[in-house]
Amino acid sequence: MFSLIEATIGGILMGGLYGFIAVSLSLIFGVAKIVNFAHGALLMVAMFFVYWILLLLKIDPYLAALLAAAFLFFFGYFFQNFFIEPILKREKETAPLTVILLTSGLMLMLENIALLLFGADYRMVKTSYTGKSWSVGGMMIIQPRMIGFLLSLILVFLLELYLRKTNLGRAIRATSQDREAARLMGIDDYRVYKIVFGIGTTMLGFAGSFLSPFYYIHPAIGEIFVLKSFVIVVLGGLGSISGALLAGIIVGVIESLGAQFMNSAMTESLIFIIFIAFLVVKPTGLLGKRRE
Amino acid sequence: MIWFVFLGSSLAYSQDEVKVGVLIPLSGARAVIGENLQMAHDFAVKEINEAGGVKSLKGAKIKLIYADTRGDAKIGMSEAERLILREGVVAIMGAFESSVSYTSTEVAEKYQVPYLVPNSLMDAITERGFKYTFRVERKGSLWAKDQIDFIADMAKQSGRAAKKIGVVYENTDMGQAIAKGVRKWAPEKKLSIGLDEGYPARTSDMSPVVLKMKGANLDVIILNSYIADAILLIRTIADQRVNPMAFLGSSSGYSDPSFIREVGKLAEYFFDLTEWSTDLKHTPLVQEKNAAYKKWNKDHRDFNGGAAFCYASTYILYEALEKAGSYDPKKIRDAFAQIKITKGPAMLIPWTPIEFDGEGQAKGARMIVVQYRDGQRRTVWPPEVAMIKPVWPVPKWEDRK
Repeated sequence: MFSLIEATIGGILMGGLYGFIAVSLSLIFGVAKIVNFAHGALLMVAMFFVYWILLLLKIDPYLAALLAAAFLFFFGYFFQNFFIEPILKREKETAPLTVILLTSGLMLMLENIALLLFGADYRMVKTSYTGKSWSVGGMMIIQPRMIGFLLSLILVFLLELYLRKTNLGRAIRATSQDREAARLMGIDDYRVYKIVFGIGTTMLGFAGSFLSPFYYIHPAIGEIFVLKSFVIVVLGGLGSISGALLAGIIVGVIESLGAQFMNSAMTESLIFIIFIAFLVVKPTGLLGKRRE
Repeated sequence: MIWFVFLGSSLAYSQDEVKVGVLIPLSGARAVIGENLQMAHDFAVKEINEAGGVKSLKGAKIKLIYADTRGDAKIGMSEAERLILREGVVAIMGAFESSVSYTSTEVAEKYQVPYLVPNSLMDAITERGFKYTFRVERKGSLWAKDQIDFIADMAKQSGRAAKKIGVVYENTDMGQAIAKGVRKWAPEKKLSIGLDEGYPARTSDMSPVVLKMKGANLDVIILNSYIADAILLIRTIADQRVNPMAFLGSSSGYSDPSFIREVGKLAEYFFDLTEWSTDLKHTPLVQEKNAAYKKWNKDHRDFNGGAAFCYASTYILYEALEKAGSYDPKKIRDAFAQIKITKGPAMLIPWTPIEFDGEGQAKGARMIVVQYRDGQRRTVWPPEVAMIKPVWPVPKWEDRK
């Protein structure tokens, strides 16, 4: 019983991070209808960014998170501006296939540049709180995981608030519901796309920073999280930010709790079984809205 | 005058090359392991060629042609085919991952090209009646036998006997071979198995598995991982304060140089079953060659087990080429079958002599156990080659500074 509680807590903490990683994918897909295959590679960029900042400038990962987030905002913004936007304008479709190729290309490019610059070595960020844990009634709560989880919750809350309460947030939501109508109302849809792509990559910047104090860093690290992110986005409801976070926590708990009862190789398939079963019952995902 | 003509002709011949294919993962998740092995092969070939190449082939130089398997069994097969048909190699070495060696040796068998496997441990590789497959590494199921023997020996040495053990492994051929062996050999030494857990290759979070270890209350935990999961596992184990008498790895990730570099102090007291260690002194060549290798390679790395075996295997191949005196793969195969090496750099391998049985498996292959002490891998078992006395049981995580 005791170990089950411990496993549940561990699952929630890790799941929260899975969900937070998926937020970017969900947001970009929900608004711009772009499937961002470079998702994992951008996470890797954030992690290396934090790693080098810590190593060269001795700035703590949680402070470096702000720098990484700002860096990735501009990266995302300009990537949308210079590469995706011309395609969208030329193809005149809402979700042209070429964009998928473009984001896949970006992934290959980033991964291989990282491989070229940093080699295939595994690296670890070493901080004062790495390996520290709080002992709560005999349970080990690992500090960087807890901090990462809490910060993720706060950021998702702030993002939801931003989308609901500000003008730009409303413009983003309007564009996600109906691009043409939003355009007729005077919303610059291409600007919205750029900002959304920027916000999405910003979130990845934060996610990478929260992950780095207890994870390893490697050019192919994104591949570990990318499939899970897609599952989480669909499970949470396409385009739903809170849905992604919730779905992430569910996946984390299934993974952690499931492993206590069966072989951990089996829990991997259990996640997909539950995922498919859920979609049969509710095809729009946990918090997704039905489209007319 | 005649002497000059002779010299001239030998120079002309020295331009000849013996092409040898090497299959290893050079991209993807295991690229870091592949690069390490590649350096060892390169170093051996550099030495051999500088010493005059293959003398029985008029000083022909060995040329290694690398093919990237990406750790994929299917790519391994097609690359083996490419090496044989397009590149015209006379022999192949590789392929690190058991699953890749298993499939690619099949291709070599079909085209009758000898295939020397330095590192793969899956039993079945040499149990299919193949004539062209030769393996240096000890069979995987026997690794587990050595691990169990080690645990039993430690009980005798220290008076602290382990009763319940666990085996946690990456769910690939290599991990399964270890687990299968543990299941087979543990009961013979009266050890019960409290946890038998295979985890998928790309597990993103090790906490569930580690919590299971903690709950099972094990005396010894046998681990088998590649490098990324080894780093994650040991970190999570330390975070969760899992405290058995000992952790016993099975080489691979735990013997990789980046393991100790990245986990640092967390590796202290960790036992590892391995084929080889830099502190061995069964022949002075170990120290001598390792020093030369360290000076030569760009990262100034020591050999690890995998690399030492690749280095030694390149010399075994060289001896076979010398013995065959031919570019004909069939003759080279026969040379492998008859080989009996007792000296030279191939003896970095810690047993003598090196020879292959009817199945192509190295006779007399045996493993050693090392313990991480002050960041160094020190040989502690078997007693014949041990360099220091092991710490058993290991200190609890809470008591370490």
